[in-house]
This record gives sequence, C-alpha cells and structure tokens, in this order.
Amino acid sequence: MSDVAHAHGHDEHGHHAHPTGLMRWLTTTNHKDIGTLYLIFALVMLFAAGSMALLIRAELFKPGLQLLHPDFFNQLTTMHGLIMIFGVIMPAFSGFANWQVPLMLGAPDMAFPRMNNWAFWLLPVAGILLMGSFLLPGGAVAGGWTMYPPLYIQGGISYDLTILAVHIMGLSSIMGSINIITTILNMRAPGMTLMKMPLFCWTWLITAYLLIATMPVLAGAVTMLLTDRNFGTHFFNAAGGGDPVMFQHIFWFFAHPEVYILILPAFGIVSQVIPTFARKPLFGYASMVYATASIAILSFIVWAHHMFTVGMPAAAQLFFMFSTMLIAVPTGVKVFNWVATMWRGSMTFETPMLFAIAFVCLFTIGGFSGLVLAIAPVDIQLHDTYYVVAHFHYVLVSGALFSIFAGIYYWLPKWTGHMYDETLGKWHFWLSVIGMNIVFFPMHFLGLAGMPRRIPDYALQFTEFNQIATVGAFIFGFSQLIFLAVVLKTVKGGAKATSKVWEGAEGLEWTVPSPAPYHTFETAPVVK
Amino acid sequence: MDEPVRETAGAYVFHSRPRCALSQGQERRVFWTLAAGAFGIALGFSALGYWLVLPFAGLEVGLLAWAFDALRAREGNYETLTIEGDAVVLEWRKEDGCGRRELNRRWVRIESDCSAPGRHCRISVCSHGCGTEVGQYLNDEARLQLAATLRSRLQV
Repeated sequence: MSDVAHAHGHDEHGHHAHPTGLMRWLTTTNHKDIGTLYLIFALVMLFAAGSMALLIRAELFKPGLQLLHPDFFNQLTTMHGLIMIFGVIMPAFSGFANWQVPLMLGAPDMAFPRMNNWAFWLLPVAGILLMGSFLLPGGAVAGGWTMYPPLYIQGGISYDLTILAVHIMGLSSIMGSINIITTILNMRAPGMTLMKMPLFCWTWLITAYLLIATMPVLAGAVTMLLTDRNFGTHFFNAAGGGDPVMFQHIFWFFAHPEVYILILPAFGIVSQVIPTFARKPLFGYASMVYATASIAILSFIVWAHHMFTVGMPAAAQLFFMFSTMLIAVPTGVKVFNWVATMWRGSMTFETPMLFAIAFVCLFTIGGFSGLVLAIAPVDIQLHDTYYVVAHFHYVLVSGALFSIFAGIYYWLPKWTGHMYDETLGKWHFWLSVIGMNIVFFPMHFLGLAGMPRRIPDYALQFTEFNQIATVGAFIFGFSQLIFLAVVLKTVKGGAKATSKVWEGAEGLEWTVPSPAPYHTFETAPVVK
Repeated sequence: MDEPVRETAGAYVFHSRPRCALSQGQERRVFWTLAAGAFGIALGFSALGYWLVLPFAGLEVGLLAWAFDALRAREGNYETLTIEGDAVVLEWRKEDGCGRRELNRRWVRIESDCSAPGRHCRISVCSHGCGTEVGQYLNDEARLQLAATLRSRLQV
C-alpha cells in the first residue's frame, strides 16, 4: 500500500465501473468490504450456532429424552462450540480488525489486500464443511469441540471433514494474523507511534502474535489425529502405545491462548467505547498495553488447569494453579482502569456504553468463577460440570459477544452513514443482558450440585434450574432478532450520521465522513 | 517519511510510495521474534515425539518470511507521474533501480489488463509501443480509479 498525494486542478475522481453483485464480493480486496464480509459471515453463523443452542436447551427443559436422539444432542453441543468459537467470535473480531485497524492507523488498506481476500473466502469453505457434516452418514462430529481422542480417532467420515475444516480455518487465521501484524507495524501514518495507537490495535497486534505462535500446534495436533485415524500411526491411540492425555496437553497449549485470542480484541473494543461515553481519556493507557501483553505471555503457562483431573504431580498442579491465579493481576489492572476511566466522567448511556458496562460487570463474574476453577482441589470437584459451562459462557457471551455488540453499535453509524434505532438498541441490550443471566447464572448452582455437562438427560433434582435456564435461553436467543432488525434498519436508512458520530470519540476513524468512503487515507494523515 | 509533492498551477501530480513505518532492523527483529516463538514451541513438541507440529511451523514461518520480504523489497520505492501542459513525466525507483520517462501527452494512452479488483490488476502508461506500469503501490480498486482519472486527464 502507499502514501499517495494528488495535486488537482479540477475534479480528480474518474469514474470506473466497480464490479457489482457477487463478483464485487468475491474479488474485493478492499478492507472495508472484507470487514463487512467477515461480519456478515459471523452473523449468519451466530444464528446457526444459536439455533443449535436453543435445541440443546429445549431438550434440557425436562429430565428424560424429549426431542433429540442423544447422539444428535452430542453433535449439537460439539458443533455449537466449534462454530461459536471459529465461526462467530473469531470472524467477528477479524471483521472489526479489517474495518477499523486501517482507519485507526491512517492506512489506506491492509498490507496484503489479496491475501486478505483469501483469508476471508477460506472461511465459508470451512463453514460449509462443518455444517455439511450433519448430512453425512453418522452425522456431524459428536466428540466435543476439544477433539479429544479416543472419540476423535474412532468417529466416522465427519471427523475427517472437521479436521480439514479446522486446518482451513487455521490457515485463514494465520493469513489474517500476518496481515494484521504487518499492517499495524508497517503501515501506521507518520507520527502514529506504537504508544499512540488506539488500544484496539494493540490488543489485535498481541492477538495476532498469539495466533502465529499457537496455530501450528493446533494444525499439528489435528494432523496427528488424522494420521492416527487413517495411516496407522499411534500418537494418541492408547491401543498402539500412544498417549491420549498428551493430546490434551497439546490441545490446551493451543486452546488456552485461544481463549485470550477470543477475549483480547474484546478488551480493545471496550477500551475504545468506555472513554468515548465517559468523555475522558482511557485511564492508564500504558498499563493497559502492558497488562494485555502480560495476559498473552501468561496464557502459555497455564494450559494444564483445563486437565487437573487427568492425574498430574502435586507440584505441577500447584504450578498451574498459581500461574492461573496470576492472570487475575493484569486482568484486574484492566478492570480497574475501565472503572477509573468512568469515575467522575460525564457519562451517557447509549447502547454501546450499556453493552460495555455489562461487559465489565459480567466478565468480572466470569473471571471470578475462573479463579474458583483455578483452585485445583475445587476444580477436581467441578470439572466437567455445569459450573464450567456457566464460567466460560460468562466469559464468552457477556465478554466476547457483548463486546462485539458494543462495537457494532459504536461503529455502525461510521460504516453505514446512518444512526441506529436507539430504542430498539436498548430493547436488545436489556433483553440480552437479562436473558443471558437467566440462562447462565443458574448453571453455577447446577454445577455446584454436580450436574455433568454434555448430557441430554439428568437427575430430577436439577429440573427447576434447567427450566429457568431454558426460558432464559429463548429470551436471549429471540432477542437477537431485534439486533438483526436494528442492523438491517440501519443499513437501509435512518438519521444521517456525522463524521464524529459520538461527542467524546477520539481517533482518526472519526475524521473521515460517515459512511467511511470506499478509499480512505490515500494521503497519509500526520498524527501529532 | 513523506516526499513532498511539488505543485504548479494546472499540473496534475500523482505520487505514490509504499507505506513503511518499520525500519529494516525493526522488521528483522519482529520476524525473528515471531519465527523463534513458532519454532521454539514446535521444537519442544518435536522433542517429545510429536514432530508433526514442526512442518506446520515451518510453513507458517515461510509465509511470514515471504510477507516480510515483500515489505522489505518495497522500502525506498516511489513513483511519480506529472501531467503538465503537453508533457507527461514518469519517475520511479524500484528494487532494480531508478528511471525517468518523458512522453507527449497526445500520444499517451492508459492500458489496464482487467476490469475488476482482486485479480492483480495492472495499469500502464503507454506510448510509442512501450508501457510503464504505474500505481504499483495501490490496491486494485485504487489502481482502477487511478486509470480512470488518468484517462480523463489525458483527454485533449
């Protein structure tokens, strides 16, 4: 990409025919188009995986088997997890990165636009492989999103397809990460030093580093599963002398940093939204950057807290317990800084700010339940119970997903040129936040009482809390239709948005008109 | 960082160069940090017998090396196209050296080899059977837009 300067005598913009229809979207190398594609893909997948969640909750409304065959139930829980992680949260954050990183840095586009196009278009291929596996003999994968052997060694053809899909999504992530790292480091506008970058760029830079470090591990692990399945190797096959527990070590060495890959960009979005609506600069910018980096580094030395029950020496349990607890320190710094930013600010409570505040409060609950699970003796009791389900949904729904909603409401006027419907936005917020708590809060009690996860049937004493959770799930699920309506309505029309949509907004993206023109910052801005 | 654009009344000047916020030394440090992380982890697992992580780390680092090499190759490059009166002046610096070409506006035509972005579009300023590529540091959409702008500018 380039710095371009034009000196013009008169109208300089020649008109050329942009491809339209499908070809425009297939061939585009524009970061805004690709950002939009990522976000649309994530939205479609959100409704697909969300529908699976509603089926799961409908089955769990009463003890006994109601609607689903147990094997299909297992397929739904597995695919719900895989799609929400790889098809919703990660692509949504990539969409934000594509839209916002060049705008925030004053760059005309991503560093490698064609690679950017490829990175996106690999995703629908993987999505089709995953969703299509429901139609195969034996159905989709049912061994859990964690892909543990021996189930993943023994399953049918859909397991091979899922491994292929994971490879494709991994390749897409690597291409996206290389693009983001090179864009952030090499394409900043003059004067935009690293410590002047918006925090969203910092969190994505660190996320991209994590992806680069961990993706080969995932690729290697699933390839070894594939060779165990098809080529007679015994990496993880106990029958041939392999070690299935080692798969868990390798998988979680990837998947714990993956948890932070799913949450660090959320930190970035919230760190943009809160200062805007508190009308104050972010408190402790430098400490936020260092805290993000610390979380990323610590994420490599905590993986075994996911597997305390496999049997490990007490010294190892202590190490992983304390290293996990250590993560609470930089995370606490972040929560403190968000609260301090709001402290004595001139706050207003538009929908993005409401979602950001809900994020701070509810993510903190998820963080605390994570601390509970970090304590090895407690985790041995709670492992594979609904307490764990409650914990990670507080982190990923009220954490990652709510930050995505905050970001969408925050930047949608910049992207579309129209203000969203604030009333509908607030309905969406309140129904989501109430629904989400009704679904997931009772799961703490279910887990403490001993209800195991990933089962279609349960003992009678768990009935009431499950019924409450199911009602909450349907409130939460159907309230997302309001979100869809808000987005469609805003794309279609609405009050015109100004360049600086929000009074307290700071940053280069607010210096360009709304909607952001197709080409921005072809002449590099100078940041002072 | 930015090279100045000299303006004279009525002249059209297009100046473009790749955006390079990183020095060569910084690029090298970033690359080796990333490569060391990926290879270090892969070698650790290989030492335990799970060697299939290693080829994927190799492929990834290869892709990274290509990306950083592409960035490095662009440093110091620029291209300038000036249309003033009847003169069209092209000046450039690429990996293989500098160049300058002065053409008569009336004989110049703009050629592009595709109409849609995403297909590595190229646009050339042609005269007397010889073409010079311009807009190399733009994305495909901006390149096509430049072609349209130049065509309208060159109309006599």
